[in-house]
Amino acid sequence: MNRISEHPILGNTEMGRKVAFFMDGKQMEGYEGEPIAVALKAGGVMIHRYTQKNHEPRGIFCAIGRCTDCVMIVDGVPNIRTCITPLVSGMRIQTQDGVTALEVTE
Amino acid sequence: MKSINDRSQDIGPFVSQTDDGVIICRCEEITKGEIRQAIHDGMFTVNEIRRYLRSGMGLCQGQTCGRLVKNIVVQELDVIPAQLDPATSRSPMRPVEMKVLGNEEVTHV
Amino acid sequence: MKRYDLIVVGAGPSGLSAAIEAARCGLTVAVFDENAKPGGQLFKQIHKFFGSKEHQAKIRGYKIGETLLSEADAVGVKVFLNATVSGMYMDKEILVRRGDAMEHCKADAIIIATGASENMVTFDGWTLPGVIGAGAAQTMMNLYSIQPGQRVLMLGSGNVGLVVSFQLMQAGCEVIALVDASPRIGGYGVHASKIARCGVPFYLSHTITKAEGPDCITGVEISQVDDHFTPIPGTQKHFDVDTICMAVGLSPMSQLLKMAGCSMIDDPRRGGQVPLVDENGETSIPGIFAAGDVSGIEEASSAMIEGRMSGLSAAAYLGFLSEKDKDSSLNELEVALNSLHQGMFAPGSKGKAFTKTDEGIAVSQSLLKKGYLDEADIARFNHFDKKSGVHPVIECTQNIPCNPCQDACPKDCIKIGKTITALPRIDADSTCTGCGMCVASCSGQAIFLVDEDYEPGYASITLPYEFLPRPQKGDLGTALSRSGQPLGVAEIIDVRSAKAFDHTTLVTMKVPVAQAMTARFYKREAQRAEL
Repeated sequence: MNRISEHPILGNTEMGRKVAFFMDGKQMEGYEGEPIAVALKAGGVMIHRYTQKNHEPRGIFCAIGRCTDCVMIVDGVPNIRTCITPLVSGMRIQTQDGVTALEVTE
Repeated sequence: MKSINDRSQDIGPFVSQTDDGVIICRCEEITKGEIRQAIHDGMFTVNEIRRYLRSGMGLCQGQTCGRLVKNIVVQELDVIPAQLDPATSRSPMRPVEMKVLGNEEVTHV
Repeated sequence: MKRYDLIVVGAGPSGLSAAIEAARCGLTVAVFDENAKPGGQLFKQIHKFFGSKEHQAKIRGYKIGETLLSEADAVGVKVFLNATVSGMYMDKEILVRRGDAMEHCKADAIIIATGASENMVTFDGWTLPGVIGAGAAQTMMNLYSIQPGQRVLMLGSGNVGLVVSFQLMQAGCEVIALVDASPRIGGYGVHASKIARCGVPFYLSHTITKAEGPDCITGVEISQVDDHFTPIPGTQKHFDVDTICMAVGLSPMSQLLKMAGCSMIDDPRRGGQVPLVDENGETSIPGIFAAGDVSGIEEASSAMIEGRMSGLSAAAYLGFLSEKDKDSSLNELEVALNSLHQGMFAPGSKGKAFTKTDEGIAVSQSLLKKGYLDEADIARFNHFDKKSGVHPVIECTQNIPCNPCQDACPKDCIKIGKTITALPRIDADSTCTGCGMCVASCSGQAIFLVDEDYEPGYASITLPYEFLPRPQKGDLGTALSRSGQPLGVAEIIDVRSAKAFDHTTLVTMKVPVAQAMTARFYKREAQRAEL
């Protein structure tokens, strides 16, 4: 588990409500209001998208919404910066492939 | 001092380097080799390279690569950084959907 | 279009400080920030700040952020979040994106306090998931309570690289190595020592040559570099890591100023493209000001002063403050700013290699190259007649602007004087009571209490401790040297926490008297097997 539940300076972490969301069709859990990228990282997801030209994997890079490397398809909308977009219950997140969704075989 | 705009200067032939394959512009996936080649094609300013290759014109608008591209040009042309202007800044500075850009709010805050 | 007296772009330390000063003078002030939370980077700064009282020294960054926010609120500053300023025009008009709409706003004065963006270096594989900026690491662990990785390699030994490395360890991550292409550590020696004594190795004159992994980071290869920063073939070293963190400097985010037509210069000492400003931050366009990192990369402490100066100047520019009042306030702030601009790490000293301190003491080369003081160095800096009983040992050996230790001691044992970059000196005539206030107040965690006569054959060492789990009285563990090498068994004889210590725990361990001047950290017994 990579969540920090107790910190020597910041103390105990207060989390929002636990909610379910969907990552490429698979159900995952995260805390409401935290950035989508954080919920994904807690669930072990490192790859957010594949680039259009070279089809290379990308993930979190700047974590403050500047670099746009962590963009994914959120509720059908591509290019959503997951590091600054709050998680909402029931969200459908998809790995982005170029500018469309990655086809996932289930 | 050498002028950036002296297009007659001889910058020598393009010689490939071992790290030419490294991505510089992460959004548009432009490599160091492509940027160096562009300079040898006569693109001496950051703006020219940007229009020629689209480096710095992707989603992040050159947030990460702006400085990297500039450094490559500085090395290739053997000039000092102060001689080379960064890319033009203009609105909108951050990526924005056309429907939002066209949606001018007229009511007060 | 909405009109304000003053618009501030950026709700970080300088922007908020500017807005507060201006609002106090009676201006209507609106602050726009593109982020969802105000405070800029302050809320990720969990370490105690340097400086003196007027710079809020020894207070942790996030606490300073909370104070600024409540002050801004109290004086009626309007802070708009998720409000991205996308353009600025010469006649002091800005274009803001809020939600799904664009909005034009106008002011009679504008202060740009947009801060900086992170620089990056490129290497084979640098686009792989797992390669992140130091800011990303701070955001994840200090704002959202998630570890950026389990095993991290840090590139960059400036203060950001050093501070974030320590924070990574506080978050429970392992820092495998700290790498920098420079032959010398760039940041404060005290920050480096905090990491070194935990056993983190420094690889100076090294750089990353390859990030390894099929689709995310599984390892990293570093190589030594020559005098031209070119990797030397055959010097490669490999580490298994899941995260590579880059802290290789910042660039001013000055695009708005440039687009508005302000005269710009390229100044490497300020971090890149910056506006030409006068001593109060006014740009070439009257009424447009720049404050904080956007006009030159520095620390948050100076950004706050610059912000206040620009806020007062904007108030005077619009006639809300008399020239006389402006001058007296600004003079005071200028003195405060100047005191931060002294010493070995002053903006004007960037890249200079100091061989001696202001006091004429030879600088520790070990500190610059390995991150810790060599035993032989200590004697040069602690030359006082050792008395019996507990006494402070101060391992602060560089001229940095910081003096909380002087105020912390109730017995006035520690003297720095008016110049806050002077090295602290111990007054041999004063008697140390062992209260530990100096240990807890030292932002660099460089003060230890040593008692060579604790028990026959044994000395006690009190050290600052900011990790979990905290040691308990009676615990047996390992005493570590300044380089993190195990020295032998140490027994915890006292553990002190107090509100005044602000989350720094004072741990006292008993070690053989021969280790009194070598043991500087403690590792729990459970981890001994890893040593």
